[in-house]
Amino acid sequence: MTGPSCGRTVLIVEDDADTRMALAEVLQDVNYRPLHAANGAAALQELRAATTAPCVILLDVMMPIMDGKTFRAEQQKDPALSEIPVVVLSAHADLDSAAEQMQAAGFLRKPVELSALLATVAQFCAQD
Amino acid sequence: MENHLVQDDLNALRASAELRAVTDSIQDYAIAVLDPQGVVLTWNTGARQIEGYGAEEIVGHGFDRLYTAEDRAAGRPQTLLTEALRAGRAQDEGWRVRKDGSRFWADEVISPLRGANGAVQGYVTVTRDLTRRRQDDEQRTTLTVASVTDYAIFMLDAQGTITTWNLGAERAKGYRADEAIGRDLSIFYTPEDKAAGKPLRLLRRAQDEGRVEDEGWRVRKDGSRFWADVVITRVNDANGKLIGFTKVTRDLTERRRAEERLRQADEWLRLMIESVHDYAIFMLDREGRVATWNRGAEHIKGYTAQEIVGQHFSCFYLPEEVSAGKPERDLEIASSKGRFEEEGWRVRKDGSRFWAYVVLSATRNRDGVLIGFAKITRDLSERKRAAEEMAERARQQSVAAELGLYALQTAQLDRVIERSTQTVRETLQIDDVRILRAGESPLPGARTVRIHAPEPDAEYGFLAASASRPLTANDVRFLQAIANVVAIAMARSQSEEQLRLAEREAVEARGRSVRIQEALLERDEFISVAAHELRTPLTALQLKLQGLESSGGLPPPKGERLGAAVRQTERLARLIDRLLDVSRIAQGRVEMTPEIFDLAVLVRQVAEDFREPATQARAVLELQLPEKVEGSWDRLRIEQVLVNLLSNAVKYGTGKPITVKLEEVGDVVRLCVADRGIGIAPDDVDRIFGRFQRAAPIRNYGGMGLGLYITRHIVEAHRGTISVDSKPGEGSTFVVELPRLSAPAAAGRGNVSRARA
Repeated sequence: MTGPSCGRTVLIVEDDADTRMALAEVLQDVNYRPLHAANGAAALQELRAATTAPCVILLDVMMPIMDGKTFRAEQQKDPALSEIPVVVLSAHADLDSAAEQMQAAGFLRKPVELSALLATVAQFCAQD
Repeated sequence: MENHLVQDDLNALRASAELRAVTDSIQDYAIAVLDPQGVVLTWNTGARQIEGYGAEEIVGHGFDRLYTAEDRAAGRPQTLLTEALRAGRAQDEGWRVRKDGSRFWADEVISPLRGANGAVQGYVTVTRDLTRRRQDDEQRTTLTVASVTDYAIFMLDAQGTITTWNLGAERAKGYRADEAIGRDLSIFYTPEDKAAGKPLRLLRRAQDEGRVEDEGWRVRKDGSRFWADVVITRVNDANGKLIGFTKVTRDLTERRRAEERLRQADEWLRLMIESVHDYAIFMLDREGRVATWNRGAEHIKGYTAQEIVGQHFSCFYLPEEVSAGKPERDLEIASSKGRFEEEGWRVRKDGSRFWAYVVLSATRNRDGVLIGFAKITRDLSERKRAAEEMAERARQQSVAAELGLYALQTAQLDRVIERSTQTVRETLQIDDVRILRAGESPLPGARTVRIHAPEPDAEYGFLAASASRPLTANDVRFLQAIANVVAIAMARSQSEEQLRLAEREAVEARGRSVRIQEALLERDEFISVAAHELRTPLTALQLKLQGLESSGGLPPPKGERLGAAVRQTERLARLIDRLLDVSRIAQGRVEMTPEIFDLAVLVRQVAEDFREPATQARAVLELQLPEKVEGSWDRLRIEQVLVNLLSNAVKYGTGKPITVKLEEVGDVVRLCVADRGIGIAPDDVDRIFGRFQRAAPIRNYGGMGLGLYITRHIVEAHRGTISVDSKPGEGSTFVVELPRLSAPAAAGRGNVSRARA
């Protein structure tokens, strides 16, 4: 799923606006194209509306309206979306097992360190 | 028969001279006719031959000349005539005197002769000479007497000297004939009788009166005494002169003994019956009238003998039984069956009743004729009362036991108290029963028993019962039993109270414990949630600062400030991580993921990371490591241990060398991190490795750093140990020993890669 087709697009699904913005900012700084969604439902909308599928989805777990797990399930049911890798983002202690459950490609523990964020995202987006 | 013939002959004689010839021819009988005065009118041949007188010599003379001088002096001839006249006939056997003065033993029968008008006209006397027969008799008698053994029969001369002896005498007195004959009769008498002159006196009386009888003690040859019946008879010669005595002695000892025994037995029986106090023993006649009475009867029934003898025994029965005919029925049963027996009510003289045991026995004579009834009555009132008392006591005991059972089953003291008073009321049939509270005083006149309470400050002190009737010892015993039940109930209630208290405390403690656990869980949960909540804003902050720094930063001095802010957010992130670790440890959620790696390499890497901070702390890191120390551990956790220990060493060992040493001891890998810093106070040494206590305030494991706490748990999760050797001012040495192949305490997990800050 990685490759030039994604065009360094990263979908950030995070209910906390500050965190969402911070993530978007630091990714933008290094020339990624961040897309925003405040919950799972919004993320699905964003994905279906997007002309280009993102290289990776940074997915928070606990969110209102539609949480991360539900979003992931919906995403996997949608063949157009199911191939997009997901990195789970959480402050929760058993993040790793949650990530495993959600068949995530990886996880990032909050507070997320910039270097770890960039290294992880870089795994899924081909450097242009 | 003879005489009748003679009479007839005589009657005939009067009418017929021929018949006179017949009487005249009779030779064996002296037949004479006397006039009413006793003068001889006729004299036959027999008379002449026997008496010696010729008819001419005697006819016209009184017939008394045929008698002995003694008999004439005694008026014997006239006596016989009078007797004949009175009785129609007189017979006499005795001495008669012949014409020559010699005596002969005669049998004489005198009959009166009456005329047609019944007037006495005279007598006819027929005399027979019995001398020959008497001699024969004497001979026979001598022989007979000699052979008689049951009677001592012997003769004495006129002076009382023994002249003959028989077998009976020998047997009775013990003397042989040769020993006895010639001795004085006084040898048979007791010394007292001899001294009193009894032998001679008896002889005199026999001499004077012809015969004497005496009963008394006699002495045998061997000195033993026997009770004798003695008859001494005077013996005269033919002329009536005393020639001696016959003495017949009979040993009555046996009879006397038997009589004595019988008499004694009768007396004893009488005395016994009379003196028996506890039994009424008396006789009833055939009709049921009281015939005899004893002391017991008087004692039991109240009547004296004078009052009751002759009264019908039905007065001992209850009036209703008398009217129902019971006394007669009882007599009938005794009469027909020989015996009647029952227990029942009887009445005393004063009208009071008593419970009696009665036996009525029919008494019959030798011929089987009913002569009356023996009645034995015993007063069983006392026994009956005792039996009833026993029954009552048993009933009371069972009632008390039942109450006791109730008290055991009933926890509420009030209900036991209520039931207790009710029980006393019903059982003793009394109205006023109260169980007094401590300090409460009973009604005057009430019988109280103490309630022996287990505690001095018991609620109730006495059981008080007031009754119109006197309470018996049994009743009081019962009251005490009930009081004891109350005491037990109080004790039970008290222990129940204590139990309830203890139970409540236990429940409360359990509640506290639950609340503590809940609080602990809540706190852990809070830590967990708080950590998460802190992380989210920290993410934004840290990303922004790191973003700023990485995008070229800011010009000095703002750039330095930015750096400090970044470091602080990183430190904040680490603190939050540790908090989460502690929370996980507390919740038992530490999980190990072992992998095989070279610990020496890891130590070198971590040490390398610390080189800069160490330099800043002016501390030199000295590593003493083997080439390779492979084992199976959770790499990230062990790294955490190394980081914690090194950061502590750098922190507290400022300015001094820090030694990190790794060695293999058998299957164990030992890691030592030693500093020469300020050291740890002895009090704190225990504390830093003390077991995590959930109830302890969180600050207790705050100060020395969550790091050591987490370290200890990681080491222990690897089944290793951690210890510290420290002296204040000399520094600390932390020693971690890990099994080379540790079976992790927590299950390993999947293969999702970790990306850790």
